[in-house]
Formats: sequence, C-alpha cells, structure tokens
Amino acid sequence: MEFGLSEEQKLLLESVRDFIVKELQPLEEQVETKGYLEPAQAKAIFEKSKALGFYAMNVPEEFGGGGLSALDTIMTEEQFGHTSDILIRRAFGNVYEVLFKCTAAQCQRWLLPCVQGARTCSIAITEPGAGSDDAAIKTRAVKAGDGWRLSGGKHFISDGLYSDFFVVSAVTDPNAGSRGISLFLVDKDSPGFTVGRNQLMMGQVGTSCVEIFFDDIQLSPENLLGQEGQGRKLVLETLGRVRLGQVGARAVGKSAKLLELMTNYANERKQFGQAIGQFQLIQQMIADSAIEINAARYLLYRAAWEIDQGRDAREWIPMVKVHAAETLGRVADRAVQVFGGMGWCKDLPIERLYRDARIYRIYDGTSEIHRTVVAREVLKKGAALFDVI
Amino acid sequence: MNLVVLIKRVPDTETRIQIKEGKVVTDGISWIISPYDEYAVEEALRINEKLGGGKVTLLCLGPNDAKETIRKGLALGADDAVHLNDPAFGNGDATVTAKVLAAALKKMQYDFVLAGKQAVDEDNAQVAVRVAELLDLPHVNSVIKLELAADKQSAQCTREVDGDRDVATTTLPAIITAQQGLNEPRYPSLKGIMGAKKKPIVDWKAADLGLDPATLSAKLETVRVDPPPARPPGKKLAGDAATAAKELVRLLREEAKVI
Ligand SMILES: Cc1cc2nc3c(=O)[nH]c(=O)nc-3n(C[C@H](O)[C@H](O)[C@H](O)COP(=O)(O)OP(=O)(O)OC[C@H]3O[C@@H](n4cnc5c(N)ncnc54)[C@H](O)[C@@H]3O)c2cc1C
Repeated sequence: MEFGLSEEQKLLLESVRDFIVKELQPLEEQVETKGYLEPAQAKAIFEKSKALGFYAMNVPEEFGGGGLSALDTIMTEEQFGHTSDILIRRAFGNVYEVLFKCTAAQCQRWLLPCVQGARTCSIAITEPGAGSDDAAIKTRAVKAGDGWRLSGGKHFISDGLYSDFFVVSAVTDPNAGSRGISLFLVDKDSPGFTVGRNQLMMGQVGTSCVEIFFDDIQLSPENLLGQEGQGRKLVLETLGRVRLGQVGARAVGKSAKLLELMTNYANERKQFGQAIGQFQLIQQMIADSAIEINAARYLLYRAAWEIDQGRDAREWIPMVKVHAAETLGRVADRAVQVFGGMGWCKDLPIERLYRDARIYRIYDGTSEIHRTVVAREVLKKGAALFDVI
Repeated sequence: MNLVVLIKRVPDTETRIQIKEGKVVTDGISWIISPYDEYAVEEALRINEKLGGGKVTLLCLGPNDAKETIRKGLALGADDAVHLNDPAFGNGDATVTAKVLAAALKKMQYDFVLAGKQAVDEDNAQVAVRVAELLDLPHVNSVIKLELAADKQSAQCTREVDGDRDVATTTLPAIITAQQGLNEPRYPSLKGIMGAKKKPIVDWKAADLGLDPATLSAKLETVRVDPPPARPPGKKLAGDAATAAKELVRLLREEAKVI
C-alpha cells in the first residue's frame, strides 16, 4: 500500500492550490456581494487557467483534455473545494463524462468545444415532479420521422443561464419504464427552447439554477446521446465520477479549508486570558473534524483508485458521497460554533461557507438515497463486499 | 542564451519556525524555491522566450531532498539542472556555499548568471555577490528591471534606491540578482509538471569539482539561535480626536523617540 504522492502529483496539487489562492479566492467576496461573476473576470480566469493546461484536466488527452487519472482528478477536485462553485466552473471547467459517449460527429459539435471552453454544458434530469425518483420524468421525446420532438421541462439546472447546451433526459418509450428513457444533446438556441426563472438558492451564489422548457423542439438522430432507451444506464455509469469529484472531493476540500480557518482562529482568539483552542470543548470540535475529514479523504482516494483499476466503484461512490457531504455539514457547523458570533456575521466568510455546505447532502442524490444504495448492495452481496480479504 | 540560475530550497514563508535544543526544527516543514530565486528563474525563462531559444540551467546546492525543489524549477520551464549534492557541502556558510557554486560555474558554460538577492531562510544576501567576486565577474544586485542590449553583450539593470531609481549597465557575463518587482513568476503548467521528470539533473560532488572537503568548513560559528521577541501589544488611545492626537505626539516624542 502506497500512500505517498509522486513528485508530479505534489507539484500539480501545489500549483493548482497556488492558482486558487492567488487568482480565485480574491474574487469570492465580490461574487457574493454582486450575486454574479463579472463576465470579464470569468474570461480572464478561464484564459489564465487554460494556458496552464488546468482547464478540463479530467478529460482524456484524445479529446484534448489533461488526461489525468481518476485519482489525480479527484485530488485536483479536492483542491477546487478551496474556492467557490462558480469560480471552479469558469476556471477549470465542468466537462461531464457522459459526453465521452459522443460519437465522432457529436464530438465535433459538443464535446470538443466543451473541452476547449468554447461551449458549456449542463445536465438536465430533475423535474418538479421527479427528483430522487428520476425515472418519474414527464419530459417526452416522441418519434417523428428519423428524429424526435421534445416537450416538457426541467428545474434546478445548475449553470443553466450560462450553458449553451444541455444533456436532457426524456421518455422515449412510456411503456418501458426506466428502460424507456433516453438522453439528448439539446442546444439552447433550438427553436422551442426557453429558459424560465433563475431559482434563487441558499448558497453557492453566482451559480445560476434555472427552469428550462422544451416546446416541441425538433431533434435529429445526431441529438441522441448513446443508445435509445439506455439513458438511465448511461447516467448511472457516468455520473458516478462526477459525484466523486464534484461532490465528494470538493466536500473534502471545503472541510479541510474550514478546519484550517477554525484552527487558526482557535489559536488566535483569546477569552478568559487564553487562546480558545486551550478549552477542551473547542478541542473536541477540532479533533472530530480532523478525524472525519481524514476518514472521508482516504475513502475518497480508495474509490478513485478502484476506477483506476478499471472497475466502476459503484459500491464505493455512494459511501463517499454520504460521508464526505455529511462531514462537510458537521465541520461547517462546528466552524460557525468555534468562531462564535463572528461565525454568523457576514464580516467573515464562515457564514457563506456554512450556507454553501448545505447543498452537498442534497444534490447528485440525497444522503438518504445513497444510504439506501449502500444498504441494498450490502444486503444483497453481504457485508463481505467490503471485507479486505 | 545559456543562462544559469542559482536556486535554493528554503522553508515555506508561511512556516511557523520552532526552535528546539538550539536548532530550527525542520520536521514537517514544507519547502519551496526561495521567492527571490523564483523571480530569477522567471526572468531567465522570459529572456530566452523573447530571444526564441537558448537554455536555462538551474544550479542548486542542497541535500537530497532539494531534488524536489529543482524539479519544480524544471516544471516552470528550465531545461536542465545541476545538483551540488554532497554531505561535505552541508555544513557550509555563505563563504563555503559561494566557493562550491563558483567551482561548479567554472565547469559550466554560460552567458550570464541570475540569482535571488537573498535566500529567505537565513537572509544573508551574500552568496551571489561572493560567487561573482570569486569568478571575477561584474555583479548587479536587487534588480527590478533587466534589459538586454540588442547585441547581447551587455544589460541595463534598474534598481530601487531611496525612493528613486538607479540604472547600471554591465557587460556580460555578469551575475545579476533579482528583487521583488522584477516580474510576476508563472505557475508550473500541467505540461511542465508532467515533463519535469524527463529533464536531466546531474549530481556533482566535491570530487567532481576538484574540491577538498577539508577546505569546506564554515567560517561562521553559530553561538545561539533565538526566536525574535514577541511583538509587544498595540496601544489604543482613548478620548476624542484632539486628545488622542495630542497623546500620540507625546508618545512618539517621549516613548518611541522618533520625532
Ligand atoms: C442547487 C441545486 C442544483 C442542482 N443542479 C441540478 C442539475 O444541474 N441537474 C439536475 O438534473 N438536477 C439538479 N438538481 C436537483 C437535485 O439533484 C435534486 O434536488 C435531488 O436529487 C433531490 O431531489 P428533490 O429535490 O426533488 O427532492 P425529493 O426527491 O423530493 O426528496 C425530498 C426528501 O425525501 C427523501 N426521499 C426521497 N426518496 C426517498 C427514498 N426512496 N427513501 C428515503 N428518502 C427519500 C429525500 O432524501 C429528501 O430528504 C439541483 C438541485 C439543487 C438544489
């Protein structure tokens, strides 16, 4: 078992962290106050990061990406956790791995421009009536000639204001249940496509979450991603890595950043003539955070390692999702407590990080759903599933 | 041009220095290229990028672990490196370090040498100057702007002096040391990082330089190491602006004795 970093890994993580600290963190407060990231700044951080090869590092080299392994991707995503969602999106890109299923022709139109940062993509699955139960979607794609006509709508679509195309799940065969769902690549400028409200959220200010509507959009065979009826399978296959990186790893990074902030404060803040870090009740909050963060981090690395061994890590990913998201929740809560009134006050970033933390237990599958998956796997295959021998 | 940059591995500037049994505790410290050396590396890279060719060689004296620091310099874009890696170099002060560096430079081909104005660990600000003296090269220190002449035979160096600028022209080869403001160092790129391992680093020991280890003992004796005294707490002046101003003037005159 080898836990050390290679020289390349260490340099890469240091370089990414340095970039985040110097180029991105200084923009965080401004995004929070304005409610959005200035387009000129978005362009500037994108160009700087792209020149360094930091954009779309998770994408294989054959598609023009950085070609990082799953483990290296996860470790860079952990660093991304040290800044806010919108800055990560613009500086490092969110190229969803479901797009790797593009055919050669689709690559030219959707994947490659995405890797180059010329186009941006959102994933559109959730509907007002279909959240955790994503097979209950009502959006329909009705066969018309050799293509389809798409009708329906989605909500909570992250970055939807900015994105110019969407991976949309739709029912192609209403009689086939979850096997009757397909994925489509839908351009925002398609006739019949409208963007509804930007749904204001508790945190992650600067990242839009929108309703989108499809009014009888004409789709050609080129719009179909993967096979007809294989939509849910494709989502299950490819969103796992997104969950691991964008949720699990970023949650660990955010927790680590919060621990750093609260540790510094515990050492500096004096009450009753001593640093508050001298009080055992404060120490417990720091100890529990450090313990849980490290547990989450090594579980995360283990799951990524599974992927690098050519396995899908499907039994590991839900565990990481739950443990990392819930660790972040607890650490953020403790951070507010350690900072006392200053933790609740907008003069410091703690209250913002606390609000930003809450979504991790909800999106990309709630903790309840992922716990259910873990339990199902264990009950089906026996607890020996996670036995080391 | 063939440029050589002197780099040193130093503790991260954010390190909380701890002293135990009269020595700085080095366990658990993270190490970096000394920030002034990083300006020197950046300047060397820019010079060759502008000229469209040439070579940047890093020259580093340090223990085995300094390889990691050298590799970072290579990831930034330097072409190759020489690692002066011998326990005999390890107890050196500025005199010895300069002697070893000068011996190494004698074996190398270069058009000029860049270095940081000082290393941020011991803040001696001596090594580069001593190397220049030993090699009988001109040197210009603490440069914030460097302009190479079109014929590449000389360089114009701008330095900050008492709120003004001092401009010196030197013939090349010379040793020039970098001050903050010279440039904004780049980040290592993904490509640079992945390629760093393929770049050559040669190790030289005392014997390779024709140096007798017996001649490499420090001239400087460390008697004691003490942390700087804790900063005294600030003083808050009470009362309205007029009263506070009066009190401030009195304190500046009588306590701080600065006016
Ligand atoms: C900020 C934000 C961004 C988002 N971005 C996107 C996006 O880009 N694309 C996209 O498609 N979607 C996106 N979503 C949707 C997100 O994935 C869903 O909100 C999430 O999957 C939960 O669905 P829901 O909100 O409908 O909750 P519901 O499914 O209604 O769940 C409500 C509660 O019931 C519990 N529950 C539901 N089913 C079960 C069960 N079987 N057993 C036990 N408990 C259960 C849940 O855990 C939860 O506590 C986003 C959501 C938010 C808030």
